[in-house]
Amino acid sequence: MTFSDDRPTMIEFKEVHKYYGDYHALRGINGTIKAGEFFSLLGPSGCGKTTLLRTIAGFEDISSGVIMIDGKDMASVAANTRPTNMVFQSYAIFPHMTVEENVGFGLRKDPRSKEEKAKAVAESLDMVGLKGFGKRAAHALSGGQRQRVALARALILKPKVLLLDEPLSALDKKMREHMQVELIKLQRQVGITFILVTHDQEEALVMSDRIAVMFDGEIAQLADPETLYRRPATKKVADFIGTMNFVPADILSESGNSVDVDAKGLGRVTLDIAQAPVKSGDSPVVGLRPETLTLLYDDQKAPERETAGVIDEVIYFGDMTYYDVYLGGTDVEVRLSMRNVPGRPVLDVGTKVRVAWSPSALVLFR
Amino acid sequence: MAATPGSEARTGLKLISPTAIYVILLLAVPLATVLIYSVMTGGRGNVSFPVTGENYYSLLNTKGGGNLIDYFAKGMPGEDPDLTFLKWIWNGLSNAVYVFVLLKSLMIALAVTLITVLLAYPVAYFVSFHVKPDRKSLWLFLITIPFWTSYIIRVSLWFVILGYDGLLDKLLMSLGITNTQLNFSSYGVPAIIFILAHAYAPFAVLPIFVSLEKVDRSLLEAGQDLGESRWITFLRVTLPLSMPGVIAASLIVFIPTVGDYVTPRLVGDGKQPLIANFIETQLLKLQDFPQGSAFAVASMLMVGIVSVGFVLLNRRFIRGQK
Repeated sequence: MTFSDDRPTMIEFKEVHKYYGDYHALRGINGTIKAGEFFSLLGPSGCGKTTLLRTIAGFEDISSGVIMIDGKDMASVAANTRPTNMVFQSYAIFPHMTVEENVGFGLRKDPRSKEEKAKAVAESLDMVGLKGFGKRAAHALSGGQRQRVALARALILKPKVLLLDEPLSALDKKMREHMQVELIKLQRQVGITFILVTHDQEEALVMSDRIAVMFDGEIAQLADPETLYRRPATKKVADFIGTMNFVPADILSESGNSVDVDAKGLGRVTLDIAQAPVKSGDSPVVGLRPETLTLLYDDQKAPERETAGVIDEVIYFGDMTYYDVYLGGTDVEVRLSMRNVPGRPVLDVGTKVRVAWSPSALVLFR
Repeated sequence: MAATPGSEARTGLKLISPTAIYVILLLAVPLATVLIYSVMTGGRGNVSFPVTGENYYSLLNTKGGGNLIDYFAKGMPGEDPDLTFLKWIWNGLSNAVYVFVLLKSLMIALAVTLITVLLAYPVAYFVSFHVKPDRKSLWLFLITIPFWTSYIIRVSLWFVILGYDGLLDKLLMSLGITNTQLNFSSYGVPAIIFILAHAYAPFAVLPIFVSLEKVDRSLLEAGQDLGESRWITFLRVTLPLSMPGVIAASLIVFIPTVGDYVTPRLVGDGKQPLIANFIETQLLKLQDFPQGSAFAVASMLMVGIVSVGFVLLNRRFIRGQK
């Protein structure tokens, strides 16, 4: 899952700004995307992720800043000559053409012979699992098939970067999960840099080598999925990705790189200040993922710390149960997830429980 | 109460009956009358049965009492070395008065259609692609402004521009391009084509506009993304997708212009009578109902054939689109 950082840079953003009239859509984007990377732009709608993708494709001009693709400044390069191809959200399949005419659309200027081009089209269709679909009319395809045609049409041109604008959002859940895996396989097979725009954090976590989380036209955090999940940089990122419990804390004392806080319901704990530069007078919050909290049964002992609590809500998922628990007689409620194993009954609302937790799993937010 | 298929059909018939009666009275009955007249005998107000095909045959009559069928049946005379095949055909057709008018009207209507569609397409394209969405209806409204004036007045106004000592003549003379009055509006056929093309342009703009509006804009981005310039993307994507609108516009312009009566009457001093003027002469002036009706039916058939051609063309483009 970890991505080796020694690969060459494919795309570089330097202080990219985009204005639509008075609206500041991109507010100083910086960062690099590596060659061969599966990169995701993740964020809620209106965060600028699609705008950023479209500036890479060349469909939007940038107001200021620099976008480099493979070492070349793209400022004066038109969309039709950029080394990028796009899979559109609507797939943009040409309705007046057959599948093979769609896939071969970009080959008009290709110097190869007609037969070689036809072979390339057939291979490309084969690669996306549409062997033998060439003669079909494009309008007769299902959503999943359209998407495959869009993929084949883009990949046949062997772009340096493939741009995917929410390609899975129009598919049903089953199909979406299936296509996620297929896209990952396809990316490994062709080795092209993929940039995926999505608002689905789960999709981004599953598919990406690295993810840029965007809010309000800015990149809030650019990291691999694990770092993003375990060490979110801001409260907003933590809240957007997965489930995060937030516990208010008071600063007791600070010394060098660490700070002592009193987290409500959890008690006194020492945390590394490097995550979030807090100082006395701030009222920070502490974040815990549900799976880092464990219920203690019978006379189990907590490996590190434990806190008493009362179950307020039970959400049963089959393989898992979520418990909402009030911590240590306070009004602080946290959600924790327990795997359901044989011989361990699902507990009832109102049960008094002990919750085990580890200070190292806590994340400090300013 | 459960509706049986039969009762549903009866309800349907009841619902469409007012329209159906209207259509039958105002379209089917006159049409049938014309069809019956066209196979009757006699002229000058005393028409009678028996049924005859004579009226249709005499549509092929040539000047000087011959008939086009005989002319072509005889074959090309070999003795004259200056007579080319095309000239022989031309001589035959130009001598057959009815056939010639039919073909001339057809050519004029096709020319008007071509010019109108070529002129209307850029306007429709501009409104669809380069006008802000909230301004589009205003633009379409402005395009219809010429219709606020009667067609006859609009034709007459063209005389002010194109006629003797008109604006065009004055402009060309002041620029020193010519020193005589051109009086363009007396130039029969070109003037008719020009004025008809102007009159029907708004009719052509609307269907083309509608078909352009339906073109998914992401397809154009896809075209560019796949390496084509804007112009080639237009040719490969926008134009084929807008062809149903172009063909609809062609039909809308072609059908009324082929039977236009007013323009040839007013323009070019009425020296270029077309189908409608001919029919008028036959029916009203000469009172030859059978002959005029036969001519009307023949021209209707011709328009029908060309229109079916357009419709078939349209099918080709509509196929493959939602």
